Amino acid sequence: MRPEAFADLLDRGILLLDGGMGSMFIAAGLDAGKAPEWWVVEHPDRIADAHAAYADAGADVVHAVTFGANPVKLAAVGLDDRAEEVNRRAVEIARGAVPGDVLVAGDLGPTGKFFPPMGDATGERLRDAFDRQVGWLADAGVDLISIETMYDLREAEAAVEAAHASGLPVLASMTFDRRKRGFFTLVGDRVVPSLGALRRAGADAVGFNCSVESEPMIDLVREAAAGVDAPLVAQPNAGQPRPTPDGVVYDADPGQFVADLLRMVEVGARIVGGCCGTDPAFIAAARRALDSLDAA
Amino acid sequence: MSDTPQLLDRMCQSILDGDESAAARLATLALEGGVPPLRAIEDGYVRGIREAGALWEEGEFFLPELVTAAQAMKAAMAVLQPALSRDANIRSAGQVVIGTVQGDIHDIGKTLVGTLLTANGFQVRDLGADVPVAAFVEAARELDADLVCASALLTTTMAVQRTLIEALRDAGLTCPVLVGGAPVTARWAEEIGAAGYADSAVSAVERARRLTHAT
Repeated sequence: MRPEAFADLLDRGILLLDGGMGSMFIAAGLDAGKAPEWWVVEHPDRIADAHAAYADAGADVVHAVTFGANPVKLAAVGLDDRAEEVNRRAVEIARGAVPGDVLVAGDLGPTGKFFPPMGDATGERLRDAFDRQVGWLADAGVDLISIETMYDLREAEAAVEAAHASGLPVLASMTFDRRKRGFFTLVGDRVVPSLGALRRAGADAVGFNCSVESEPMIDLVREAAAGVDAPLVAQPNAGQPRPTPDGVVYDADPGQFVADLLRMVEVGARIVGGCCGTDPAFIAAARRALDSLDAA
Repeated sequence: MSDTPQLLDRMCQSILDGDESAAARLATLALEGGVPPLRAIEDGYVRGIREAGALWEEGEFFLPELVTAAQAMKAAMAVLQPALSRDANIRSAGQVVIGTVQGDIHDIGKTLVGTLLTANGFQVRDLGADVPVAAFVEAARELDADLVCASALLTTTMAVQRTLIEALRDAGLTCPVLVGGAPVTARWAEEIGAAGYADSAVSAVERARRLTHAT
C-alpha cells in the first residue's frame, strides 16, 4: 500500500487495529516459556486462529507476529539463523488468516540493545537490523509497517527510517510513563519532540502503545494533539490485572476500555487498537462503538 | 581531616554527575588522607546514589543518569575495595539473585534494579531475561542467596512468579522473594507469598535493604 492510499483511508474514518496476542496464545495452550516468534515456526495454526479472531472482531489491521523478529532480538532467543524465515512465515500466516480487505502490518519492536551509557548500541547497527527485517517484511507483502513500544527516540528513529525507505506507510508508537513532571520515556524523551522527530523521519502516523492503561492514554493523546502535526495512534493496555483463585483477571472491562478509546478519538486519535491484556472482545466492542459513531 | 565533609560532598556530586574519573580520584584522595573507606562509601558515594534515586522519583533523572551514577560508584568502589577487604567491619549487604521470569524477555526494569542493588553494596547475580525457574533455584542455592528478585512484565508471565516461589520452597530454600514488573501489585505479591513488591527500582533497593536485614 502506498502512503497516499493510507492517508485516504484515514480520511474516510477511524482505523481500528487489533489487540494483544499473548493472552490468546496462552489460552490456546502454548508454552509460556518461549518467545512468541518460536510459535511462528512451531504453531502457525494457532497464530492464524488469533489473527482470524481479530478480523472477525472487526479489526481493520492485524499485526504479523514479528514484534521480536528483528535479527538482533532473534539472536537473543536462539532464532538468529532463521530470522528471514520467521518474518516471511509470520506474514504468510497473517495474510492467510484474514479476509482480503484486512490489512497486514509488519510489526517492528525494540532490539533490546541500549545506547550508551546503558549499552553499546549505535544508530547504524540498529538501522542495519531494521533494514534487514523491513526488507523481508516488504518482500513478504505486508501492507504497512507498525513500529511499537519504542522507549528510546534514537532507536525509534532508526526503525522509522528503515521502514520509510521501503515506501510503505509507517505507524510509529512509543511508550511513555507518567512521571511527576509529565510523560517521559525510560531514557527521558518527551512526548511532543519525540513524535515530531518521528514524523520528520518519515512516519505517516505517530503515537503510543503499552505502558499505560486506557485512561492516562487520553492525556497522552491530548498532549500530542496539541503539538504534533500527524495522525495519532493510540493502543492502550487493558486495565490493571488482578489475581484471583481462577487466574489473572482485568479490572477494565471492554466497556470501560472502549469508552476511553472514544475519548482518545475525541481528543485527536485517528488510529486505535489494544495492547497488553486486550483480546478480540475488546476490539469487537471498539468496532461496534466506532460504527455507531459513523452512523451518528 | 578537617576538609573531610567537603570531600564527601564532592564524592556525592561525582556520583550525581556520573563522573567516573572524579569518583575514582576522590576515592584515592580519601585513602591518602586517612578517611575510612566505609565512611567514604556511606557518607559520600552511597549518598550520591540515594540522591540519584530521589531525582529519579522526582522525574529529574532517567535511565542514562542512573546508569552513569552506578558506573561512577563502581569506579570508586574499585579503588576502595582493597582497603575495605582489610577492614574487619566490612558490611556485606547480601547476595541477590535477580532475573526476568521464563517466557518474558523484558529486561530493562530488572537490569535497572540489579544495577542499583550493586551500587548499594549487594552482590548481585543477574540471570538475565527469560530465566527458567530451575535456573533461579539453582543460583539461589549455589549462592545461598539472601534475596531473590523476579520480574514479570506480562500478565501472562506473572503467574511464573508464583511457580518460582513454590519451586524455591519445594527446594527447601526460605530466602525472601521480591517481585516487580508493570502488572504486578502488592496484592499479587501477597497472594503468591512473595516477601515484598516494589513499583520502582529505587523502592526495590529500599525493600531489599529491609528484607535482607530481617534475615
